[in-house]
Amino acid sequence: MSKFYAILLDTFLEIRSSKIIYLYAAITLVLLLVFGLFPSIDIESGNIPKGSLFSPELASEVMAFFFSGFLGFVIFLMVFGSAWLLPAYLSRGRVELILSKPINRFRLLSMKFAAVFMIKSGILITMTILIWIILAIRLDSFSGYFFFGLLLGCLQFLAIYTIVFAIGVIGRSGVLAIMGYFIIRIVSGLLSSREIVYNFLGDSVWKTIIDIFYYILPKIGEMDSNYKSLMTGNGFSNTFAIYTTLAFSAALFLITLFIFRRRDF
Amino acid sequence: MIDDSKAIEITNLSKIFKGGARGEVRALDDVSFDVHTGEIFGLLGPNGAGKTTMVKLLLGSLYPTSGTASINGHDISTEAARHKIGFLPENHQFPSYLTGRQMLLYFGGMAGLPQAELKTKIDFLLKMVGMFDWRNSKLKKYSKGMMQRLGLAQALINDPEIIFLDEPTDGVDPIGRREIRDILLNLKRQGKTIFLNSHLLSEVESVCDRVGILNKGKLIKTGPIGGLITAKPAYRVETAGLTENIIGKIKESFPGANIEDNIISITLDDSKQINNLVDLLRQSEIDVISVTPIKVSLEDSFMRLIKGEEVHE
Repeated sequence: MSKFYAILLDTFLEIRSSKIIYLYAAITLVLLLVFGLFPSIDIESGNIPKGSLFSPELASEVMAFFFSGFLGFVIFLMVFGSAWLLPAYLSRGRVELILSKPINRFRLLSMKFAAVFMIKSGILITMTILIWIILAIRLDSFSGYFFFGLLLGCLQFLAIYTIVFAIGVIGRSGVLAIMGYFIIRIVSGLLSSREIVYNFLGDSVWKTIIDIFYYILPKIGEMDSNYKSLMTGNGFSNTFAIYTTLAFSAALFLITLFIFRRRDF
Repeated sequence: MIDDSKAIEITNLSKIFKGGARGEVRALDDVSFDVHTGEIFGLLGPNGAGKTTMVKLLLGSLYPTSGTASINGHDISTEAARHKIGFLPENHQFPSYLTGRQMLLYFGGMAGLPQAELKTKIDFLLKMVGMFDWRNSKLKKYSKGMMQRLGLAQALINDPEIIFLDEPTDGVDPIGRREIRDILLNLKRQGKTIFLNSHLLSEVESVCDRVGILNKGKLIKTGPIGGLITAKPAYRVETAGLTENIIGKIKESFPGANIEDNIISITLDDSKQINNLVDLLRQSEIDVISVTPIKVSLEDSFMRLIKGEEVHE
């Protein structure tokens, strides 16, 4: 049995034992019933063009509108569902056993990260595809562009989970990991609106500092803007947000590995 | 069989913890000793002596501040040092969501064992530790003693050459302790090396070949068990009745003798001197009812060492 398979199996059993998995199942079931049984209503006003809710003409808009919100919501739940995994893995009485095995710390932590990400994104993909199938049947639209949106969702989760993972390893606290995620989310949202803040700042030094933080920190909120353009077949609208966020995640992951490697337990 | 090769070599190993409320803490201070292949080595010491720190340093949870150590010839900083070793930590926290079988499967996989080999090995080990009937129950239903037995099975999953056990009988009932002791002796007969941390001196006395005694991070004594429990010969001599006159003669010849209610307790420099005492009593026509050697326990030696008294080997 390979070491990665052992970690993957253990992680799967751990996630399965948590109650949150029932929440994922319940959300999926409710949405399947809603989309399967909900009558098609007429849209009279709002951002969606006039027409019937489940008509093929509105398929791409409905898909984009729903899934951008749905993926964001599920990723948010997954942050809560995964924040405790690394602190538990590194808890006293367990970490000594794991570190006594013939595996170097880089590989150990990388495999654990990969295992959590694979299982959680597997749950995300499964939930999303099941709901998409029902919605696609109702809308009579099986557009492949949906999968680009799903890919973006997985990338977004990868970026967010890296933050949660890093704080979980360094701080060894699930609560800290969740707080850290919220702080970065809020700060990155504020930084994306930094032009408003510039109006109040006369000093260019502060503008430079804010710009530096903007470019370094992940742009999770700005990644959301890509969902609609992707799912309507118009490609990425903001690749800068994606590249810089993934670069931040890669750097954070490597820093986490180095800290873990030299840490006393 | 114990041979001269060294399973574990520790040279000038130190560990200093910095920061915290107490500032700098020297958990281990320039410790050196060896563990021979095939022996059961017991590491003793009061709470906070550095025993668990030592084990953690050897097994990769902690990095040494200075000094070196090797396991089977491999430096402890290398992955190779952790091949063919088993470990049962004190206060272990096995994942409660796993069953007994799943737990062994997981740790066997982490040790790099193939799945086919694991399946037969798991059943064998579960039977050996008496946990086969509980193999499909979740660990959260296990008692502390059951967890300890399963932990021992986990430590043996990869057929290790060296086994590190930190308080292996903690929480186990007397029957279970006896069974674990028998397992350890059986492992020794198979040529395994066992590094044992234990507070139970009686347990150490019954299984260990050699011991090391730590106190406040320093190694104060190592040696064979026999050497530590054999101090100067001591005897308890029961007599039919002692007069004041004979008591005076005894105290004159044996100043360290303790006499109470016709019983003489005495520590001698040489065991042959007991004959002199018996001769003195016989010459004074005092009937000798019994002469019983007083065995110095490991606990007695341990307490004297910790208090800084000399223990003669």
